[in-house]
Amino acid sequence: MAHRALAHKSTDDVAVAVADLKAGEELVIHSLEGGKVHRVKLLEDIPLGHKIALRDMPEGHVVIEYGEKVGRMTQPVKKGGYVHVHNIRTLRWDYGSKGKGQKPRAKGGQ
Amino acid sequence: MPRKAASKGPQLTGYRRPNGAVGVRNHVLILPVDDLSNAAAEGVARLIHGTTALPHPYGRLQFGADLELTFRTLSGHGANPNVHGVVVIGIEPKWTDRVASAIAKTGKPVETFSIERHGDLNVINAASRVAYRMAQDASELKREPIQVSELVLSIKCGESDPTLGLAGNKAQGRVVDRLVDMGASVIFGETSELTGGEHLIANRCATPALRRKFMQIYNDYIRMIEAQGVDLLGSQPTEGNIRGGLSTIEEKALGNIQKTGTRPIQAVLDYAEPVKPGQGLVFMNSSSAGAEQVTLCAAGGSVLHFFTTGQGNIVGHPLIPVIKISPNPITCSTMSEHIDVKLPDLLVGDIDLDQAADRILEVFARTVNGRLTAAELLRHNEFVITKLYPSA
Repeated sequence: MAHRALAHKSTDDVAVAVADLKAGEELVIHSLEGGKVHRVKLLEDIPLGHKIALRDMPEGHVVIEYGEKVGRMTQPVKKGGYVHVHNIRTLRWDYGSKGKGQKPRAKGGQ
Repeated sequence: MPRKAASKGPQLTGYRRPNGAVGVRNHVLILPVDDLSNAAAEGVARLIHGTTALPHPYGRLQFGADLELTFRTLSGHGANPNVHGVVVIGIEPKWTDRVASAIAKTGKPVETFSIERHGDLNVINAASRVAYRMAQDASELKREPIQVSELVLSIKCGESDPTLGLAGNKAQGRVVDRLVDMGASVIFGETSELTGGEHLIANRCATPALRRKFMQIYNDYIRMIEAQGVDLLGSQPTEGNIRGGLSTIEEKALGNIQKTGTRPIQAVLDYAEPVKPGQGLVFMNSSSAGAEQVTLCAAGGSVLHFFTTGQGNIVGHPLIPVIKISPNPITCSTMSEHIDVKLPDLLVGDIDLDQAADRILEVFARTVNGRLTAAELLRHNEFVITKLYPSA
């Protein structure tokens, strides 16, 4: 089966393009661990290796990939949109929505 | 640990050293103790066929843990089972003898030369005559049948992108599980790049004591970074990672740890501490920079390294073969000469993880038996000592 994009878990918020994808493409996205299949129409071009939103996510949403927390949305994104450094940020050294430039408060222990 | 014979695949062959350790290459090493001795060591290696020098910039006025790590790295390379014999050259005799005596415990041939009161030219003359004999002896050693359970191996990924977490590292994880089940030791590290997945590694430590030791090493590493008044956001993910599609360090870490497979972690070690066969999956504290981590693994006794890459890290090592594995079709086509195992068909689901693991293990067996890797053919001889702080 030639996949165009894959999720790690069906419950993840994002999937990964395994080929260069174009806006308007309608995808059927399976996950590596089985479960629900997502049907997504791409809103933007998404290059190989980059992430696709599998649902609408508001600013501040904690994003799940691999079934784990991988970051926080700094801007809202629509299902089928592109998720990358322009709209997601690490939870480590997390300055929240307005504290940019503050001292790191993550202790790295958790 | 079980000491099962490999049930399938070709017979593996290697070199059994006087202490029973098994190597897959047969180098004669010309080892400089310090920066000042690089010229003489490289002089010998240029004169005598079949010898390898390891030039480096350190070894003077180091102290404390940093000095011990440099000694451990140098003597660990001499003791590595891929090495038949060692000529150690230093500026003065005391530290030279210290490095050499640690290597001599393996029972392999070791001879020392110091430059003060002799000069480079006399040392090159005398050391070359010794290296001549060692290289000729090494050339007559025969490969003999070996078992996977006699090997210490190591893993890392570099220039990562999400194709590793989806495919390349998942296949490598399956390879690690199979090798550990056959009795090999497999070293992984990259302490700071576990950030976001460190709880998953901690939970796989075989005992509570190992879990505490791992978390202490991890927290100390992060504190060391934060003590500089910075965080990892400027360097993690790297520009190459971001270009490939990784957005946060957590995402990078979760992809990274896929390659460690699923077996329990049986040992937690500091930089370059020695590893024996039969220890199973082993965590070693290390930088996440490719050449530093591969160098620490080789110092710990690894004889072969698996390196998965997304965007195309091209690292090698002077003494241990580094097998490069990539599922990224762009990397496999634009950097073909650097990649030993190509897995783009795994990425799109044309083959499954077991077929991909079989493909990696087939190249592993051929590499153990003497096939040169891409990094060996292209002379990627990165040898990078981890420096903990400035010298006195």
